[in-house]
Amino acid sequence: MPELFMPTPVAPTGAPRTAPPALDSETDAAAWNHTLQLPEVSDTEGLVMKERRKKHRSHHSGGKKRDWKKLLWVKQDYADNWVDPTFLKDLQRNVNVHPYNFYSLVAESTVVVQHLASAVIFVTSFVAIYMETVSPVTVVMVSSILTIAGWLVWDMGWEQREAAKERAISVRDMPSTPAITPAVTPSTSKGLGVDLGPDGKRNSGSYFPPMEPEKPVSVPAMDGDHSAQLRKSRILATAKSALLIYFTLLGLSPILRSLTKGVTSDSIWAIATWLFIANFLSFDYGSGIERNFPASFSTNAAITSSVVLASRLTDTSHVFSLMLFSIQVFGLFPVFRRTVKHQSWNYHVLLTVVLVLGAAGGLWVVVGNGWAVAWLFGVIVGMGGCGWWMIDLQKYKNEIHGPWDPARPVIRGQWA
Amino acid sequence: MPYNIAMVSDFFYPQPGGVESHIYQLASKLSDRGHKVIIITHQYDTRSGVRYLTNGLKVYYVPFFVIYRESTMPTVFSFFPIFRQIVIREKIQIVHGHASLSSMCHEAILHARTMGLRTCFTDHSLFGFADAASILTNKLMKFTLSDIDHVICVSHTCKENTVLRASLDPVNVSVIPNAVVAENFKPDPTAASKDHITIVVISRLFYNKGTDLLVAAIPRICEIHPTVHFLIAGNGPKAIDLQQMIEKHMLQDRVELLGPIRHEEVRDVMVRGHIYLHPSLTEAFGTVLVEAASCGLYVVCTEVGGIPEVLPSWMTVFARPEEDDVVSATCRAIAELRRGNVKTEKFHKRVQKMYSWTNVAMRTERVYDNISNAERGTLMDRLKRYYGCGVWAGKLFVICAAIDYLLWWLLEIWYPRTSIDEARDWPKKEVVVKDCKEGSGIRVGRRGE
Repeated sequence: MPELFMPTPVAPTGAPRTAPPALDSETDAAAWNHTLQLPEVSDTEGLVMKERRKKHRSHHSGGKKRDWKKLLWVKQDYADNWVDPTFLKDLQRNVNVHPYNFYSLVAESTVVVQHLASAVIFVTSFVAIYMETVSPVTVVMVSSILTIAGWLVWDMGWEQREAAKERAISVRDMPSTPAITPAVTPSTSKGLGVDLGPDGKRNSGSYFPPMEPEKPVSVPAMDGDHSAQLRKSRILATAKSALLIYFTLLGLSPILRSLTKGVTSDSIWAIATWLFIANFLSFDYGSGIERNFPASFSTNAAITSSVVLASRLTDTSHVFSLMLFSIQVFGLFPVFRRTVKHQSWNYHVLLTVVLVLGAAGGLWVVVGNGWAVAWLFGVIVGMGGCGWWMIDLQKYKNEIHGPWDPARPVIRGQWA
Repeated sequence: MPYNIAMVSDFFYPQPGGVESHIYQLASKLSDRGHKVIIITHQYDTRSGVRYLTNGLKVYYVPFFVIYRESTMPTVFSFFPIFRQIVIREKIQIVHGHASLSSMCHEAILHARTMGLRTCFTDHSLFGFADAASILTNKLMKFTLSDIDHVICVSHTCKENTVLRASLDPVNVSVIPNAVVAENFKPDPTAASKDHITIVVISRLFYNKGTDLLVAAIPRICEIHPTVHFLIAGNGPKAIDLQQMIEKHMLQDRVELLGPIRHEEVRDVMVRGHIYLHPSLTEAFGTVLVEAASCGLYVVCTEVGGIPEVLPSWMTVFARPEEDDVVSATCRAIAELRRGNVKTEKFHKRVQKMYSWTNVAMRTERVYDNISNAERGTLMDRLKRYYGCGVWAGKLFVICAAIDYLLWWLLEIWYPRTSIDEARDWPKKEVVVKDCKEGSGIRVGRRGE
């Protein structure tokens, strides 16, 4: 039996075009030698066939065998298993593959690094609280101040975007000026930030939509009074939902504290680890600011993980602090990070550096110097190494296309 | 030399379809040529056990658990005991599997090779290489087809596809097209309207059958040619799009939707038209095109998959799978018909010569002759071939093949061959089958009678 092989687009067998159909090189060729002399299609009818008939005659007068054709309806003097030199000539490889750029890959990886770093910061904070080297109230105070500051920045950005849209609308409404594309924001995103025009969906005022219905954001041509009013109601709604969360957590804390009394700490560490891994794997690294709450599973995994971790703490106020901290880190911070990336590439890089160094600092203080160095080393090697690895893996890419692929229909939109 | 052949597939009557009718037609033509053919399939509702079809064609409906679209659960080994019983009872020499999505067929080929029988496989469909389902099917195909005697494909494009999917040597793959029973698709010039052109579409209304193209093209064709009528038969998830299109453009009196029709009714619908429009996006062979041409319809079809190989250019107008091109190709076809340049009355006779099941059976018989004469490999050769399938898959396949071999020995001890009754053959008259003129001669009766 001939060996199995992956045929290449070039002729898979060395049989010359004029060779008899039986492939002498093959072991079982003898069985195929009895080529059937099928009667050729007699084209005595049909106007279109006249030309073909002439061709037949000329071929026969020369005594030469006709070329094989990739047709089923015509009976040919070739065996059914004949492999023509044109076999697989329509095969295309890697036609849709575009090469990656190393630096753009590294730049994209900052999003992953940011998420890992914020998780590391959370875990080191927990370890510090657990070992009672840091007061959880201090931690949550600092993080709450940062969150409020972040919210102010985020809200400012919202104002800016709204203003930009207003300008665009007023320009468009002027009858004398030609319409220009409104996709201009004052702070154009650099680098790989997803550029979203003002027509895109925006974050509404609140982080928690169930508590406040989505406000219509496309209010045409607002006056200043109306804008201020809108802003006020937005701040009120945010404050309301923040307070709601605050008090819910406060009420839940005693329950959470005793939630896993019957479970050993080992199991808790294992569960928390798996939940964090689930969070890393399912986190939505790719989406831009157009989505309010991407990947709810990943957020839920992180919050659940914090719940089981918090249940190891001894004091109700500690549990409350840790839960509040985790909501800030895993619920709100990703929204802020996305906005920063959208607004300014430089600030995005700065935030990444701050987060990585913060995580390193946390590791240094809480776990040990070696871990901090390993973390920094891991981040740098990971960012560069994974990018290089990804590019290196491209050589194994083997996309196959050919006439057997389902065609993509081309339809001209809506016909009217 | 007549053979005892078992055709194995998950897909057989009472379920209608292309593979089903292929198996039936091929089996009955082979038994006409003096072979003994049985069909093994899985149970359909209450239809289980042994049934006889016309001409003593024996069908085993094996009770099996169906998981998805009439495919049985892939269990690798569970089919072996009953399969061995059937094979020994019927003295089978050649196992011929059909359709790559049928796990029963793959299992049968594996077990048949373990038992040292000759195997053959017919692939009826085209698969991509990108999506998860295709990758899984292709791996499974590679497993069973890496140790097979011969593979048959229904078109040259299908052969290229199968060779790539299962990493086969192209010499071991033959192309034997489908055929039609031309007597069932006779033209009827009186049935079609004399004063306007009717375009017939018969297809399941799915995305991959190009219904979107149809929905986009019909209103444009209707506007360009105010007298053209459409006749659409078939059902599917895209039927609603068609209905919406008809309502939106108010074409109720020009586009007739017939809904699902049975295969026997296809001819009666086809003869009511002049042009057959087939906007499919992928097709391994396209039997319906041959049926339409046999009914004397001028065929307009997209140039995808194996379609360009099926019919000569003077019976068809080809279009790219684009809305604009489908419209212009249809308009070209209408113009040609009106000018009288197309001799549709000659289509039937020509198609009858191009595609016949007798010819298919004869060519399949040659494949059987070939594989029966080929030398038999040892178990080690088999295992080596499986081992070459991949780093992980290869080892897994070797384990499967080895277990299958052990299972066979266990069955031989537990239920020895000698205790299995041999089934009596269907009593046949001394039939004299005259071979087609291109055949090897005249064959008389059955072996041993």
